[in-house]
Amino acid sequence: MTVEQDFEAVDQFPVGMRVLAVDDDQTCLRILETLLHRCQYHVTTTDSAQTALELLRENKNKFDLVISDVDMPDMDGFKLLELVGLEMDLPVIMLSAHSDPKYVMKGVKHGACDYLLKPVRIEELKNIWQHVVRKSKFKKMKSIVTNSESDQNGVKANRKRKDQYEEVEGEDEEERGNENDDPTAQKKPRVLWTRELHNKFLAAVDHLGVEKAQPKKILELMNVDKLTRENVASHLQKFRSALKKITNEANQQANMAAIDSHIMQMSSLNALGGFHHQQQIPQFQGGVATMRHYPLGRLMFPHVSSSLPRNHNDGGYILQGMPIPPLDDLHNNNNNKAFPSFSSQQSSLMVAPNNQLVLQQSSYPSLNPGLSPHFEINKRLEDWPNALLPANTPQSDVISNMNTTNQTSFCRNMDFGSSNAAQADFSDPSQMRQGTVNNLSLFMGQQKVENGSMPSDAGSLDDIVNSMMPKVQSQTEFFEGDLGFGWHNSSLRTCI
Amino acid sequence: MDTLVAQLQRQFRDYTISLYHQGFLDDQFTELKKLQDECSPDFVAEVVSLFFEDCEKLIGNMARALDQTGNVDFNLVGSSVHQLKGSSSSVGAKRVKGLCVTFKECCDSQNFEGCVRCLQQVDIEYKSLKAKLQDLFSLEQQIVQAGGRIPQVDI
Repeated sequence: MTVEQDFEAVDQFPVGMRVLAVDDDQTCLRILETLLHRCQYHVTTTDSAQTALELLRENKNKFDLVISDVDMPDMDGFKLLELVGLEMDLPVIMLSAHSDPKYVMKGVKHGACDYLLKPVRIEELKNIWQHVVRKSKFKKMKSIVTNSESDQNGVKANRKRKDQYEEVEGEDEEERGNENDDPTAQKKPRVLWTRELHNKFLAAVDHLGVEKAQPKKILELMNVDKLTRENVASHLQKFRSALKKITNEANQQANMAAIDSHIMQMSSLNALGGFHHQQQIPQFQGGVATMRHYPLGRLMFPHVSSSLPRNHNDGGYILQGMPIPPLDDLHNNNNNKAFPSFSSQQSSLMVAPNNQLVLQQSSYPSLNPGLSPHFEINKRLEDWPNALLPANTPQSDVISNMNTTNQTSFCRNMDFGSSNAAQADFSDPSQMRQGTVNNLSLFMGQQKVENGSMPSDAGSLDDIVNSMMPKVQSQTEFFEGDLGFGWHNSSLRTCI
Repeated sequence: MDTLVAQLQRQFRDYTISLYHQGFLDDQFTELKKLQDECSPDFVAEVVSLFFEDCEKLIGNMARALDQTGNVDFNLVGSSVHQLKGSSSSVGAKRVKGLCVTFKECCDSQNFEGCVRCLQQVDIEYKSLKAKLQDLFSLEQQIVQAGGRIPQVDI
């Protein structure tokens, strides 16, 4: 493809681009409309944000780009921006007479592709088509890389997929024509976070402490040529974000596992006649069983030592320190939206020698009780890494999560609830509160319901993983890999 | 020989330049003129008349708000000023825009006297601009009617 041909392709696309212009000021709207026409775009105008939303919802493919004023009486422009981004995943450009940087920042944070100041110049409008190309390119990248995972939060994933974009760049020949104009096609060398590199990173972070680790110090400890502070900083950010997410999910799963292990404990002791609930809740079994296979926490720390004994009821609960999962595990992006942090909970859930089920929760990063659990249980056989962090009170998290969960699948709770009562007596030796048990059952029920509707994070998890890890290894490796890695992937995804 | 057309054209040119020099109009007005072409021959006239309509409406809002003695909603006044600033900057109404900046400061500091003063000034200013632009447009019409072309004035 010659350069001339490339330019031709570029010249034709912006013509006829369909723009929706929203501004309650009729003067500005009229001017904007004319300017856009002058750029040879196809323009639809409205003076109301509400009408704009209706137009967009009516047919999601009707427009390529939205330009909207910030100050509108019927709806805040930022709100419109968010909604458009979430629902339609279209590029949105903000317009305002406010030149105050804080407004610009707000626009960017709410997802604006660009922020133009009034009076708008035609030169600025002539370039806005780039945003459409950029976004559609990201979407393409995502679909290539994501392996048919549905990404519901396209906007966020797209915007944060610069790394991935660059990675997959080579696969997309068609878009090459626009690359010269596309600032995202920067040619800076991409850092591949290989296993070794990631291990070094983890070692450094562990040494410094996750909370205290600073990119500069990590960089120093890692002592890797050509690695920049920025590379480390962004990797650290992803790491922490994933960790946070995992920890939250882990809390919930921990409780579930606690129930499970508790039940198993109970049944083995034949304590209660009413332990038929295991049959009553077959899925629960499965769920917990699969959860066993979560290696937790390993991804973070190079050395994990367990302080709790193995669960003799072991269907797989192994509380033992494990080395950091190999990096190829990070390539697992299938079904791996689960929460490895769960494993970090495992240790707390394990039955102590004195038969006390200690329900503890990893206190790792700030636990966000507001996070609604959504996860798929990794079905691989994995060892449970030990929780590395001191326990906290998890109950409130679970409970608050319960409050936000879907109530419809709680039928199982009834059974569980009744057996809970029975268990409650039994659980004296254990520190599990009945409330927790109830919550867990609720939680599990909810989990089943949620399986069908993965939150957008799920998709982004894969994206993050794929973006962070070299795509050298094959898909199968994911399944064999350590859940910790899968988790790591997930966590990486979520944090992007 | 100084034809009518030539005279009108000269008048038009001088008048336009004076409007810019006196700060009534700025670059943005020039940009608007560039957008005017065969497809939209009255574009500038349309836009400025929309602008003056907006002025009337916004000034009315602000006057009403400031009239609520003891209970003036400065936020309302401020947002109207902000909108006026946006539209005046878009049409190139330089003086009006300048007044809006001062006006906004008065709103932010809830300076009632200041707001009232600014409102009066904005009212005077937009009406004055409206009159001048009307003169300019009528000159254009005369030129066209006399068979001439409207000259391109480079400021």
